[in-house]
Amino acid sequence: MSVVARLEQAAIDPAAEIGELIRAARGAGAIVSFVGVARARSIDGSPVDRIVLEHHARLTQRSLEEIARDAAGRFAVDHVRVVHRCGAIGAGEAIVFAAAAAAHRRAAFEATDYLMDRLKTEAIFWKREESAAGAAWIEPTEADYADRGRWE
Amino acid sequence: MKVLFYGKLASAAGAELDVPIEGPTSVAGLRRQLGAANPGLAETLCDRRVRAVVGEAFVGDDHLLGPGDEVEFLAAVSGG
Repeated sequence: MSVVARLEQAAIDPAAEIGELIRAARGAGAIVSFVGVARARSIDGSPVDRIVLEHHARLTQRSLEEIARDAAGRFAVDHVRVVHRCGAIGAGEAIVFAAAAAAHRRAAFEATDYLMDRLKTEAIFWKREESAAGAAWIEPTEADYADRGRWE
Repeated sequence: MKVLFYGKLASAAGAELDVPIEGPTSVAGLRRQLGAANPGLAETLCDRRVRAVVGEAFVGDDHLLGPGDEVEFLAAVSGG
């Protein structure tokens, strides 16, 4: 069983991350991954130049580890890997990589789905969208909270 | 006492405030005191999703703070 939960200041390379997981998960029958990408448009259609993710010096890393460990404990998976950016992220760049490896696909799909619902609503970051027009703080949507509620 | 703000709370009030308190004050009481002194902060500070941290632990609204304590208020988080 391995759990990787990493806060990343530099660009995430999803191909490298999945490569690492595949190597670590030798023998797993199922590997599922998700990449969250910064969109070029806000929810109202206005252009976004970058997303800025502020974090807490101590609590952010701890929240990533807790969420990853919870997924590993709840689902029949052998490996969980979470890599989450902080700082300024340009449109089109990866914000988060979440993945799981298991003997069978159902556990890997569910663990990854669970990871994202938890990360969206509980990972300790503060997100704002920046553009020429200014900056706006972004919070989870009602749908995000409802998705999180599915796992209770 | 020292109060630190994160996220949009920091936009409204600055990252750090030195707040005078008289004797033990609950977190709820501090929220009210800060909201009264900083009207731009009041509505956000009363959001249930805004949590208080002392040291390494999240604390509830009934947690008592002393003049020498340091408390952090975290705005509603958003990851992914």
